Amino acid sequence: MSRKKQQDFTLMHSQNKSGIIFSALVLMLILFFILDLFLGSVTIRPGEIIKAVFNNSDDTTRTILAQFRLPKAITALLVGVALSISGLQMQTLFRNPMAGPYVLGLSSGASLGVAFVILGFSADLSPESIKGFGNWAIAAASWTGAGLVMLLVMMISSRVKNIMTVLILGIMLSSAISAIVSIMQYFSNETMLKAYIIWTMGSLGNLTASQLNVMLFSVLIGVILSLISVKMLNALLLGEDYAKSIGLEVRRSRFVIIAGTSILAGTITAFCGPIGFIGIAVPHLARIIFRTSDHKILIPGTILAGAIVMLVSDIISQMPGSDNVLPVNSVTALIGIPVVVWVILRDQKYRDIF
Amino acid sequence: MGDRIRNILSFKNIEIGFTSGKFRHVLLPPLNGSAGNGELIAVIGKNGIGKSTLLRTVAGLQALLAGELTIDSKNIKEYSRVQLSAKIGYISTEIIKVSNMKVYDLVSLGRFPHTNWLGRINATDDNVIMEAITKTGMLEFRDRPITELSDGERQRAMVAMVLAQDAGIMVMDEPTAFLDISSRFEIIQLMHELTRSRNKTIIFSTHDLTMALSQADKIWLLKEQGVIEGAPEDLMLEGAFNTLFDDRKIQFNSNDGSFTIRNDEKGKIIVSGKGEKKYWTEKALIRAGYAVVDSESAVEIEISGPGNSNWKCKTPASSHEFDSIYELVNWIRDNDFIS
Repeated sequence: MSRKKQQDFTLMHSQNKSGIIFSALVLMLILFFILDLFLGSVTIRPGEIIKAVFNNSDDTTRTILAQFRLPKAITALLVGVALSISGLQMQTLFRNPMAGPYVLGLSSGASLGVAFVILGFSADLSPESIKGFGNWAIAAASWTGAGLVMLLVMMISSRVKNIMTVLILGIMLSSAISAIVSIMQYFSNETMLKAYIIWTMGSLGNLTASQLNVMLFSVLIGVILSLISVKMLNALLLGEDYAKSIGLEVRRSRFVIIAGTSILAGTITAFCGPIGFIGIAVPHLARIIFRTSDHKILIPGTILAGAIVMLVSDIISQMPGSDNVLPVNSVTALIGIPVVVWVILRDQKYRDIF
Repeated sequence: MGDRIRNILSFKNIEIGFTSGKFRHVLLPPLNGSAGNGELIAVIGKNGIGKSTLLRTVAGLQALLAGELTIDSKNIKEYSRVQLSAKIGYISTEIIKVSNMKVYDLVSLGRFPHTNWLGRINATDDNVIMEAITKTGMLEFRDRPITELSDGERQRAMVAMVLAQDAGIMVMDEPTAFLDISSRFEIIQLMHELTRSRNKTIIFSTHDLTMALSQADKIWLLKEQGVIEGAPEDLMLEGAFNTLFDDRKIQFNSNDGSFTIRNDEKGKIIVSGKGEKKYWTEKALIRAGYAVVDSESAVEIEISGPGNSNWKCKTPASSHEFDSIYELVNWIRDNDFIS
């Protein structure tokens, strides 16, 4: 009986511990979201924000907040959430700690989809049509591109067990896709090319309200799919055979996970361009923080950690107090790569686990 | 008691193997066999004959190419994945490596067929999990990461996972393959115990014939002609093991169920004496390639009593004394008797 009590105690204790970490992460998320609104080339004081929110006056502060800072902060949050979940799902599905939407070519696949739309069809798309139907067309094209790459990687990793080999093949795949895009660029006219180049430079700040809506809606679908796949992901940790033997419909689960991952990674690439190293690094951060392999904790943990990391990256890229803005891509790379390097250099016996 | 040996699993004329596209590779002729409730069944056969394929097929991980496989008097094809997982559990030879996964987490995954869509562990599940962990003697390792377990501990954790799954049949592919002798005995003893106390049916493949013959209730012997099944003793009496391996190289000893490597016979030697010392001297001579006979040999080894330990080797030409079997055998080898 006393042992039972002890067990209950330790179980509760570990649940409490996760609870505390979750609360801390939520607080951090709120903090960095607000900081992201304050800090930038024009630093806004807290008082001015409150004034701007409650006064209906049409001053600059209000414009900066409503037109620029708020959409950008929301975008950053969505990017962090979406890329991190897609990375976590890929790492578990492929049982590969090095998997991520960027390194395995999902972002390139999405770019290819977008290139098809912009360079292929939209020569005479007016700005209006881009705002309405065009956003969904671009989103759908990038989902398809990301999904196809996902299936290819799936096929590769079912044949090749070595993690690093899969990684190298993923890099080959994204190079090949980039080559195809380059050829398409070569044969497209000046207007299309300009539209495409502007898209590839992508950042968190250029989104229109309608684009933000499409993105919000798509990320929401992706997050719901990821919550549905929690139990499947836990089973897939054990590999296909064990997952089947404990009762998982592997084929159906893969479909759900691949769909979710493609929608999440594709959407972000469609509207913000390729953003690297968030998807691969954040799941590892969540594992370090929570010390668990359970996706019931890892999925929400990754969502929070991803949002926080991306908000921090955005704050850094705005270079508070100066007029310069760094490409957010470089900031995420500089934050993400050390984590990836740490994972690669971990103790030899952890080489092939995740 | 007749109810206890009810058939829980049986297969009729099944074909096992692989298909890819139109290509169909059948490993063995149609197989027949059955497993009773609460039986410990050892699957024996040469490397590559299809033991793993048979086990994977029986566990529902690989499609049946032909024939009928019945689990709990229902065709396996009528089960959904979740239903099947409540009937039959499986442990492969693959080593699971997941960082941050503790023994408790692993075992709780066994509750997969019984939990809700999120996989939430409730009080009932927790009881079953803790019971499985205790039963397999893993209580002290409950919070240990599975990557830090020894081979034997990991195998017991896997058994605990399948126990938590609460399936009547457990299929294990070479559960003792990586284990040292003491862990091997622990696992076999645990498996044996589960068939007795929990009425589990355990089907496992092994290369350890001596262990299989002494512990299993039934043997499925896989040969090129198909499955031969029966109690180990029956198969022994039928001489089913004699042709299991190439009998020019390996000799089956039907008295104790052991195998010895057959060497080319160099000659015959008489050993006189008695007890332990005689037994081990004969073993050494057989290993060196000599047949031990009672008569009709010019060479005789005399073993003196237990107190004064020496070996006397008498040949027509000479007589030598030795202090150890090692020296004796070396001398015989050097002189290369052919008699």
